[in-house]
Amino acid sequence: MKRYRNKFIYGAGLVLFAILPWTLGVYNQHVLIVCLFYTMMAASWNLLAGYTGQISFGHAAFAGIGAYASGILAVKAGLHPWVGVIAGTGLAALFGLLVGMLCLRMGGIYLSLTTLGFSEILHIVINNEYEITRGTMGLQVPGLMVDYSKLAYFYIFLAATLFTLVVVYKLVHSNAGLNFRAVQNDERAASALGVDVVRVRLLAFTVSSGLAGLAGALYGHYMLLITPHIPSLDQQFLVLSMTVIGGLGSFVGPVIGAFCLEILSEYIRAWGEYHVLVFGLIALIVARFAPKGLVGIYKARWGKSRPAAA
Amino acid sequence: MFAIASMNGLVIGAIYALSALGVSLVVGIMNVVNFAHGEFYILAGYFSFLFASTFGMNVVVAMILSITLVFVFGLMVEYTLIRPTYGDDLYSLILTFILSIVLQNAYLLIFGPYPNKPPGWVKGATNVFGLFFYGNQRLAALVAGICVIAVVFAMIKLTWFGRIVRATSQDREMAELNGVDTTRLNMLSFGLGCALAAAAGVILAPVFPVTPTAGVPVALTAFVVVVLGGMGSMWGCVIGGLTLGLVENLGAAYLSTGYKHVFGFVILILVLAIRPSGLFGHKDA
Repeated sequence: MKRYRNKFIYGAGLVLFAILPWTLGVYNQHVLIVCLFYTMMAASWNLLAGYTGQISFGHAAFAGIGAYASGILAVKAGLHPWVGVIAGTGLAALFGLLVGMLCLRMGGIYLSLTTLGFSEILHIVINNEYEITRGTMGLQVPGLMVDYSKLAYFYIFLAATLFTLVVVYKLVHSNAGLNFRAVQNDERAASALGVDVVRVRLLAFTVSSGLAGLAGALYGHYMLLITPHIPSLDQQFLVLSMTVIGGLGSFVGPVIGAFCLEILSEYIRAWGEYHVLVFGLIALIVARFAPKGLVGIYKARWGKSRPAAA
Repeated sequence: MFAIASMNGLVIGAIYALSALGVSLVVGIMNVVNFAHGEFYILAGYFSFLFASTFGMNVVVAMILSITLVFVFGLMVEYTLIRPTYGDDLYSLILTFILSIVLQNAYLLIFGPYPNKPPGWVKGATNVFGLFFYGNQRLAALVAGICVIAVVFAMIKLTWFGRIVRATSQDREMAELNGVDTTRLNMLSFGLGCALAAAAGVILAPVFPVTPTAGVPVALTAFVVVVLGGMGSMWGCVIGGLTLGLVENLGAAYLSTGYKHVFGFVILILVLAIRPSGLFGHKDA
């Protein structure tokens, strides 16, 4: 009974969320769409960081690859934006695979260092190849449909977010997901039991990068302007804080974190530059005192002692 | 052009080596990569600017005071943020990354986006080997960098403290069994790592002015140097730092200035593909 009740609650919540934008103004619709973008980013980053314990600092860079690949294909080659979105996703996954092959066998710290370097390289390339990328001016790209409509974008982002969440959920609850957590808990024990540690990490990293590419590509076609801000470290930091504040390694954590932080950032927008500092301090305090984030606090306080439902 | 690019490479390479030594020390002892390394470097630059230019202190006094303050700040960071994460590398990465963003934005708030420059130590230029004229300040930076590196080597290789450091980075448990208080050593070595970043900062700040985000490329290069030299190897840092400084400057001179910092990453990729343990690293590291 309980299982059905939960499913009913989730379904009803989703339907309510889906009709929510009809009641809102254009500005709030925009905020919801950006929330969904960050949900995709945070959920896919969590797949890697929360479930396999690998920290990538290149998640925003992979989103940037998706956005720029899709945008450049649409502007220079005249391809349909949807083809570009698929190509961007594939390219981000491919880059993830290559970077992963390069450094994952060396273990945790190397992935963090290499992805940080990768994100810096991408930044330099985008700024230097301004004839193609328009550098800091930003690349103007066509939208996903002929008539620009916030509602249509909302449903596209909602579908993509659900897709991302389903991929993450299925992966985590599959055999591979068990391997993920085995590797995170004890690398040597997992390897002794026949888990191919490098391959498990590579799978998580490739899928996670591909999903970031998808989010970035859609975001670029939504904003109609792709700037180097998408693959910036600030963006990476936002995604990281959302996941950490929401709850690293929990399924709903990144969703909660993304919505809370994005809505909060709209409220404190008036503070301008201060808002990154405020987020940083919040994230620092949460990561230090409540490493499981809001979800962890909730579970410790109100959660019943039942087997973790991820 | 070759001569002057090499000279530039040598100067910046010495500073890279110095900065990488700080990263390497902390990695060797605590297995923690401090992603806020560049921000400690910048902090020292701002301090020396503040003390020397705004308060009008003697340049040398200002520099020593800056390094000391950053050392103390490093100790505090270790005590409050890093210590609770012992044994959990994941959180130390996340915490130092968040710290680096927080510090960058704090600098932006306090000092503004403008480049700040502490006063130089010397004026004029010298004719180097009759080839070209080179700024005295840069030569002084080179000499200062080499001196600090020599002091660090002497400390690690010759003193009792250095012996403890080497023992702990070789085998932590054995060192503990022999009575080393590794918790205190962690704190001290993290502070020292920050102080080395600070030393690099005060030496280079009169040449390359500090801005809130100028620490990022320096820290990234230090990480590349550490991987190139082999994690935890001191000679690796020196050789790696000089190599990287030379490659970057020769590359900038002959290939492209815009891609100056990319050459370092090309090296990183090559090292990871061919010899992931680095020049002086152990195979199993």
